[in-house]
Amino acid sequence: MLLAKARTLLAVHFAYMMEYRAEIFFWILGGLVPFFFMAAWSEAARQGYTLYSPLEYARYFFAVFVARQLAIVWANWTFSDWVRTGKLSFYLLQPLDPMWRLLADHVGERGVRLPVLVVIGGVFAALFPGALVWPGWGALALGLAASTLAFLLSFFVAYSVGLLAFWLEDATEIFELWYVLVLFFSGMLAPLSLYPEAVQRVLLWTPFPHLVYLPAALWSGLEPADARGFAVLFVWTLVFFAVSRLLWRLGRGRYSAMGA
Amino acid sequence: MEYRAAFVVAMFASVIETAGKLFGVYLFYSSGFELGGWPWQEALLVLGFAQLVDAFFLLFFVPNLRRISEMVQDGTLDFVLLKPVDSQFWVSAQKLDPIGLPYLLLGAAVLGYAGWASGLGAGGWAWLAFAGAGAVFLVYALAFLLATTSIWFVKIFNVVHFLSSMIWSAQYPVQAYARPFRLFLTFVLPVYFMTTAPAELALGRAGGGAPWAMFLVGLGLFAFSRAFWRFALRFYTSASS
Repeated sequence: MLLAKARTLLAVHFAYMMEYRAEIFFWILGGLVPFFFMAAWSEAARQGYTLYSPLEYARYFFAVFVARQLAIVWANWTFSDWVRTGKLSFYLLQPLDPMWRLLADHVGERGVRLPVLVVIGGVFAALFPGALVWPGWGALALGLAASTLAFLLSFFVAYSVGLLAFWLEDATEIFELWYVLVLFFSGMLAPLSLYPEAVQRVLLWTPFPHLVYLPAALWSGLEPADARGFAVLFVWTLVFFAVSRLLWRLGRGRYSAMGA
Repeated sequence: MEYRAAFVVAMFASVIETAGKLFGVYLFYSSGFELGGWPWQEALLVLGFAQLVDAFFLLFFVPNLRRISEMVQDGTLDFVLLKPVDSQFWVSAQKLDPIGLPYLLLGAAVLGYAGWASGLGAGGWAWLAFAGAGAVFLVYALAFLLATTSIWFVKIFNVVHFLSSMIWSAQYPVQAYARPFRLFLTFVLPVYFMTTAPAELALGRAGGGAPWAMFLVGLGLFAFSRAFWRFALRFYTSASS
């Protein structure tokens, strides 16, 4: 019963997403930012200035690209939109927590994104021969586990921010704050190992480096598996899951759509 | 000040963003590498132009681009088209989002500091202002060009995402990138003309002539965006038809 529900939900949202293929293309194009950092760092490496070789940078930033693509979320936009426009009323009538609907929307979209990622991977491998190497099943699986957790954490953060729409007119900027922190501290600018020691030590307790650096370092073989990273990531995921449940409990009562 | 809380958060975000971008530059220079052979204070000038462009993007372009796609969706674009004013001007000058203001201030601060540290003379400052205006104009034309696609596609969100990541890649001088990327960022995406060229003009390094092309590219993109807007409107089937 539950499984059938989940299957239907995923199929529906996959179909929705197929409608927006053109947009997803633009979206992925926008996600190419890590490759610019790759271009700058591998140039620095070519001139012999930094820790890793150009190929290692290529490998790392490709992994960063994939990790980011798999963890993209927009639950904040969608949910606050539902609240503002009153669409939430319809969803409340159905015997399904809107959180699951949103989660299915996100997971279904990954199904559309995956083939495009494979194509980009192929192009990348052709452009930078030798940059992509098989990480091995173990590293691949661990990296996927890390990126799944990272996706869930990002989702619960975004959903919590979306839930703030019960109280605030506009919570976009709060998510922007989170997004900016992720940009700078997740290892997208450069591998975290290049950051000053003190900064690294503090960052390891925050969720940020584990969102991108943890899976990317595993996939690219830059660093071995780090159990503490998983633990920190897992705890933060639980924290934000709890926060989103709490906000939902508290906020539901405040919701008064048009005509309700 | 309807959105006072949002404004306060935006202030925080803009400070963190600026600090983070400076940190990004620092990471390169701390290893002894000079981005494209630019001394750090001159590289900061490029970063400052990127922030300036980004601020205008948040201040004017994003709110108006959103508005355009909303008008297409609910059919209110009809009312604009009926008005006896230029429709492109009207749809792109309707709204202003104060959230961009802290970004504008910080961008100006970075530009001011970088200009001072690079020892710009009066002529250099004049060029800095003029080239900055040219860069903003160029990005406007580009943003409008992409926003026009919302006549066919519905979600504008992706276009905004695409443009802001382009501005992201503009924060370093293009010479810092390996050659194929440099060519790509000059000839395919006009990133070179957005920030590197203005900085070269302000520094009086326009010897080769390449930076001057930014004005041509800006005007060209603007003319193209106008033509494309008119073309797209032919496909706009209004609310009731």
